[in-house]
Amino acid sequence: MELLIRLSLRNLLRQKRRNLLLGSAMAIGVAILVTAGSFSAGISDIMFNRIMRYVTGHVSVRFNERGGVMREIFRDGERARAALQGVPGVEKAEEGVGYFMRAIGNGKSDNIILVGANMSAELSDKERREIEESFRVVEGSWEGARDSKAENPIIISAEKARYLNVTLGDTVRVRFRDMFGQDQAARLTVAGVMRNDNIFMQPVVFLERERAKALLGYRPWETASFSLTLSDPKRGARAVADAIHARLKPGLASMEASVNGRKTALFGVKSDAASREALAARLKLSPAVLEAALRRDGALLDARTARALGVRQGEEFRASWARKFEPGLGETRLKAAAIFSGEGPGGVLVNDGKFYAAYYRDLPAAGAAPAPGWEALLAPEWTLLPRTYTTDDYKKKYQEIARSRGKGTTADVSTMYETASDILKLEGVLNLITLSAVLVLFFIILLGVVNTLRMTIRERTKEIGTVRAIGMRAEDVRNTFLLETFFLTLFSSAAGVALGFLAMSLISVPEFHPQDNPLGMLLVNGRVYFLTTFWNTAGSVLLIMGIALATAWFPARRAAAMSPAQALRHYD
Amino acid sequence: MNIIEIKNLKKDYPLGKTIVPALRGVDLEVAEGEFMSIIGPSGSGKTTLLNVIGCIDQATAGSVKIAGSEITALDDRAVTDIRLHKIGFIFQTFNLIPVLDVLENIEFPLLLMKRPAAEARKRAEKLAAEVGLSEYVRHRPAELSGGQRQRVAIARALVTGPDIVLADEPTANLDSVTGASILELMREMNEVEKTTFVFSTHDAAVLKYARRIVRIKDGLIEKEPVAA
Ligand SMILES: Nc1ncnc2c1ncn2[C@@H]1O[C@H](COP(=O)(O)OP(=O)(O)O)[C@@H](O)[C@H]1O
Ligand SMILES: [Mg+2]
Repeated sequence: MELLIRLSLRNLLRQKRRNLLLGSAMAIGVAILVTAGSFSAGISDIMFNRIMRYVTGHVSVRFNERGGVMREIFRDGERARAALQGVPGVEKAEEGVGYFMRAIGNGKSDNIILVGANMSAELSDKERREIEESFRVVEGSWEGARDSKAENPIIISAEKARYLNVTLGDTVRVRFRDMFGQDQAARLTVAGVMRNDNIFMQPVVFLERERAKALLGYRPWETASFSLTLSDPKRGARAVADAIHARLKPGLASMEASVNGRKTALFGVKSDAASREALAARLKLSPAVLEAALRRDGALLDARTARALGVRQGEEFRASWARKFEPGLGETRLKAAAIFSGEGPGGVLVNDGKFYAAYYRDLPAAGAAPAPGWEALLAPEWTLLPRTYTTDDYKKKYQEIARSRGKGTTADVSTMYETASDILKLEGVLNLITLSAVLVLFFIILLGVVNTLRMTIRERTKEIGTVRAIGMRAEDVRNTFLLETFFLTLFSSAAGVALGFLAMSLISVPEFHPQDNPLGMLLVNGRVYFLTTFWNTAGSVLLIMGIALATAWFPARRAAAMSPAQALRHYD
Repeated sequence: MNIIEIKNLKKDYPLGKTIVPALRGVDLEVAEGEFMSIIGPSGSGKTTLLNVIGCIDQATAGSVKIAGSEITALDDRAVTDIRLHKIGFIFQTFNLIPVLDVLENIEFPLLLMKRPAAEARKRAEKLAAEVGLSEYVRHRPAELSGGQRQRVAIARALVTGPDIVLADEPTANLDSVTGASILELMREMNEVEKTTFVFSTHDAAVLKYARRIVRIKDGLIEKEPVAA
């Protein structure tokens, strides 16, 4: 083997010009592969780890009340946090608050997106650095935005500040309709101006998260949706999403309430047609009677409950209950629209819309259990949406929810790969470009290697005959040629990798600051961004070497198979 | 004992649609330790005969025994091993490996035999000295004269201690003085190493070095005159 290596290395030096030419072609090929691969990895890193991560997180847990897109609220924050706690692979769960509003500056107005920013002290240095790198504050400071004495201190983008004609210390008034349909107004103070190359970040205005939540009407125990950062999103996202999804399985929504001083249970009745039909059948009521009874404040009671509570048909009554997060009682007015004679779930039944309105406004301190066998027809605590794995299915899911006018809060768990598979498609396109480069290279190398080897073998025919006559085995002759190709590719690849790194560092020297160009997104700190991974580089090298060796195989084998007598008779 | 025994050897070359009969029934016996010459005009079949004896070409018919074993029915690998272990070659055009220096060329067959590098090197140095090239061991073939190259080839042929050395017109590319010295060297080695030498030539002038002469013409051995 050592002998073969020595032979092949020396032979390689023999045709310097020819091998230098082929080697340069391969080196350029490797350089292109490494550069293109790093560029495309860089784009997807920016997309997923620097943009999507702030927009949706690696995994997003989204709550929508009453199918309202803007109404991202979950009433029992503790429950939501508990579902996210201790899921393996989750580094951080951030509550995401974002809201469109109209801002009025000095004589000018424009739309902004108010985003709640986590400015708490618990941020790690790395996280703080990442945020400060992504959103460079050029006037004022992030400290200013943490000032508890200022009135809603904000960080605003330079473009927006210019447009609204405001500078540091100025007041921006905002008007918006909050989650619950109330018109609201507030004053914000400019505490910092940031510069950002990402056009999508230009309308963003940061306000400390708790303040933003209060402004938007969240009560302290309520939360918005969550964005999760994972340690290994590529591999872990789906498993984490599935795990959280399993943990978010809702129970039955019920209240332990009292009516006329007597204890009872309050349930919502599911309003989809199938559930209503099944309920009518089981209660032996005509569907029309049931529908009429469950309209608006209408309550449905079995005869025993009605008697126990002292409620008569057609009578109005109040139900009240102890609240979970505040002292005092929650209360709702109902009307005994129908009293039926058979067995029911027990307690007072109302339509789910009416039920949820009371339930979400004042979550009860205690629930109650229905008679066994009725759960399927009664309203759950929330509606957990099925997992979807493609953007198309995800969109379809939300279209269906909009159509079905669900009454409960929906909870949805999705990964950024699922909601943004479009971006994965972009990555796919980039990979396709790389692949076509590979194909072109493939043919160059194919022709180069085959041609070079054929010339070399023709020139060395007599030598092949000699070493065969002396006693070298055919496979060793073949291996000598393969080794020659191997070393040529190895050295070329090393040169190519170096060339690629040089090219990348040159390309990322100039700084750009495109203001209104979405391509600005693809920059980090104003520079073209490459993400080089070991496997990307090694893969490119292995690919080129694989192609070269595969193409060298056939001529090398043919050379080895020559009859020694024939080879010796060869004259050039 | 006969180191080479050939009976009714025939070799045809296909040439387009016709067949060229290069050997047409050769019978030949060579005893161990002989120093023998095959003489014949160009195209008479010398190279073909040496190639078949040297296991680098296959006979069309007949039997060839080298050191008692039949070689006509062996596969490529077995035949390659016989060439490596039992036969040494010297070529008209020297056929050294241009990227290796003198010592490396000489030790090449030993390394193919997987002999330890140090041992191979020692033996190569000894042979380089025997052929008078001690001062040139680091030269590459291109830096040597024709005679020096053929000396390297002789050393390479002998380095493995083969049973037979086959030399196909070893002096044809050399001037007469150098050619004579090469033949003298071969004869010396034949005496020292007791190796059987068979060399071909078309030049009657070199015959005086041979101990036994076989004449070949049109693919047939002419009847040997009983040695005087
Ligand atoms: N590969 C071949 N194909 C066809 N004919 C060949 C081939 N090699 C040799 N011959 C023919 O065989 C005969 C013997 O050739 P060769 O053994 O080379 O003779 P010599 O070595 O005595 O000159 C010649 O007629 C030659 O033309
Ligand atoms: Mg000849």
